Amino acid sequence: MDLSIAQRESRLGWRFIAPSVGVIGLLIIYPILYNIYLSFFDVKLTGDKLFIGLANYQRLLSDAAFYGAAITTVLYLVGTVVGSTIIGLMVALLMNMTFPFRNLVRTLILLPYFAPVISVVFGWQFIFDPVNGIYNHLVVDVLKISSSRHSLIGNPNSALGVVILFDIWKHFPLSYMLIISKLQSINKDQYEAAAMDGCGPIGRFVHVTLPELYFVLGTLMLLRMIWNLNKFEDVFLLAPNVETLPIFTYYAAFTGIIDQGFAASISVVQFGVLALLIYFYVKKVLKW
Amino acid sequence: MLGKRTWVENGLLAAAIFVVVAFCLFPFVQILSTSLKHQFDWGNPSLIPVKLNWNAYGELLGIRSAEQVDVPDSVKRLLENPSISESQRRKILDRYQTTSDVFPFLRYFLNTFMLSASAAAVSLCLSVFGAYALSRLRFTGQTVIQRSILFVYMVGGVLLMVPLYQMSVKIGLAKSVGGSLVSLLLIYIIQTLPVSLYMLGNYFRTIPYALEEAAAMDGCSRVEAVFVIIIPLSVPMLMTVFVYCFIIAWNEFLFASVFLKQFHQWHTLPLALQTLFMSKNAIWDRIMAASMLTMIPVVVCFLFAMRNLTGGLAEGGVKE
Repeated sequence: MDLSIAQRESRLGWRFIAPSVGVIGLLIIYPILYNIYLSFFDVKLTGDKLFIGLANYQRLLSDAAFYGAAITTVLYLVGTVVGSTIIGLMVALLMNMTFPFRNLVRTLILLPYFAPVISVVFGWQFIFDPVNGIYNHLVVDVLKISSSRHSLIGNPNSALGVVILFDIWKHFPLSYMLIISKLQSINKDQYEAAAMDGCGPIGRFVHVTLPELYFVLGTLMLLRMIWNLNKFEDVFLLAPNVETLPIFTYYAAFTGIIDQGFAASISVVQFGVLALLIYFYVKKVLKW
Repeated sequence: MLGKRTWVENGLLAAAIFVVVAFCLFPFVQILSTSLKHQFDWGNPSLIPVKLNWNAYGELLGIRSAEQVDVPDSVKRLLENPSISESQRRKILDRYQTTSDVFPFLRYFLNTFMLSASAAAVSLCLSVFGAYALSRLRFTGQTVIQRSILFVYMVGGVLLMVPLYQMSVKIGLAKSVGGSLVSLLLIYIIQTLPVSLYMLGNYFRTIPYALEEAAAMDGCSRVEAVFVIIIPLSVPMLMTVFVYCFIIAWNEFLFASVFLKQFHQWHTLPLALQTLFMSKNAIWDRIMAASMLTMIPVVVCFLFAMRNLTGGLAEGGVKE
C-alpha cells in the first residue's frame, strides 16, 4: 500500500461513517425528496399513484381547514414558546438560590420532561374530566365560578388552552436546565460590582443577568419553535380535536377520506418553514 | 445572593418553591392516586384513596392473563408445529382472544422493550464509528456530511410519515407483521441516530488526542485505538446515549400507530394505552395503573443516567 497517511485516514473515515450516511440518506434524505415528489400525485393508501400536477397545492390554498390549522399552530407555538421560556427562566432564578433539599427539588422538577407523554397525558385527562376531575370540582363546587360542569378538553377552543398549559408544564424543565447552567457560569463579581453602583435586585437582573442570558434564551425559543412545529404526540394524545398542522396532516393521510398526496403537500409547506428555522439554528447555535 | 435573607424573604422563597414543586408533581400524584382508587372513589377530590384498590395492578401484571386462559391443549400442540407460518399462527390465536377484554400488559411491555432496546443498540453501534470519524478523522466531504447530520437532527418524524409509509408499502413491508416491525425498527434507528452521532461526537472530542498517539506508538492501528482507547473511556457516555435512544423509542407513538394499528398482538405500550383509553369509557384505575407501569422504566433509566444526561442536554444534545 503506497497511499499517503492523509489518504488512508480519509478512507478509514469513509468506512466508519458510511453505514450512518447510508441509513440517514436512505431513510431521511430520500423520504424528504420523495415527499415532494408524492405531493404532485393523487396517492392511495395501497401505493397507487396518479399524476395531478399542482392540484394538491391548489386545494390546500383554498382549504379553510388548512388556514384554521395554520392559525391553531401559530397560537400553539406562541403560547408554548413564550410560556415555557418565561416559566423556565423564573424557575431557574429560583433554583439558583440556596435552600435546603435543593438537589432533591432540582431533580423532581425535571420529571415532567422525562416522563413518557402517554403516561402523563392520562393524568391531565383525569384532572379535566367533567365527571371526576378536580378542575370541575374546584370551579363548580368550591369556587362556584360556573354553575355546570364542562369538558374543557372536549371543546376545541378551550382544549387548545389546556394543550398549551400541558406543553408548558412538560417542556419548561428543559428551558430551566439550559438557563440554570448558564446562570451558574455568571461571574459573581459582576453582581458585587453592580451592587456597588447602587443597583437593587431588579437592576442587577436587568443589567447583569439578562445580557448574559440573551443567547441561551434565543436558542431555547428557536429550538422550542422547531420542535413544537413538529410536535405530534403531545397534542394528539391529550386533545385529538386540536388540529395543529401535524395533526391535520395525520388525519389527511391516515383517517377518513385518505389522501396521502394531499398530506404530502401539507408536509412540504411545513417543511419549507421548518427548513428556514433549522437553517438559523444550525448557523447560529450548533457547533461540533 | 448578596447578604442574608430576612425571614419574610425566606417565607416567600419557601412558598414559591412549594408552588413550583406542586405544579410539577400534581399530575403524577393524581395518576398514582387514581390507580389505587375504587370506582366509587374516583369523583372524590381527595388524593388519598378511601380504600386501597390493587386490582388494576394485579390484572395488568398478569395474575389473570389472556393467553393461557382460553387456548385448548390441542390447539397449543398445533401451534408448536414448525410448518405453520407466523401469520397463520396469529390467526388461530386471535380466534381465542377476541372475546377477552384483558389488557396483556406484559406482552406490550415486552414488545416495546425489544423494539426500543434493539433500535438503541443498532443506533449506538453505528454512531460510535460515525462519531469517531466525524470528530477524529479528516476525510473528503466531511463538512457536507456534518451539516446534513445537523440538519436531519432537527427534522421531526411527522414530516416523514407519508413518504416512509409509502416506501414500506411499495416494497411490501407494510402488509405483514414482520415487515411492519422491521419498518418500525428502522424508523426508530433513524430517529435516534443523528442525536447519538451528535452527542458522541462532542464527547469524543473531549478525550485527549495524546492517548491515541501513545497507543499508536505502541503499534495500535486507528481501528484498534477505537476499541482500546475510545470505547473504554466512553463507557458512561455510551450508556447515557443508549438510555436516551431507548427512551425516545419507548415513548414513540406516531409511527407505531401507523404501522401496528391492525396488529393488536404487537402493539407497543403507547399505542396500546391509547387504544385502551379510546375503546372503553373511563376505566380510570386500569388506565392509570398502566400509565404508572409504563412510566417506571423511563424514570429508573432517567435517574440512572441523570448526571451525564443533564450535562449532555445543557450542551445542546437533545432531541424531541
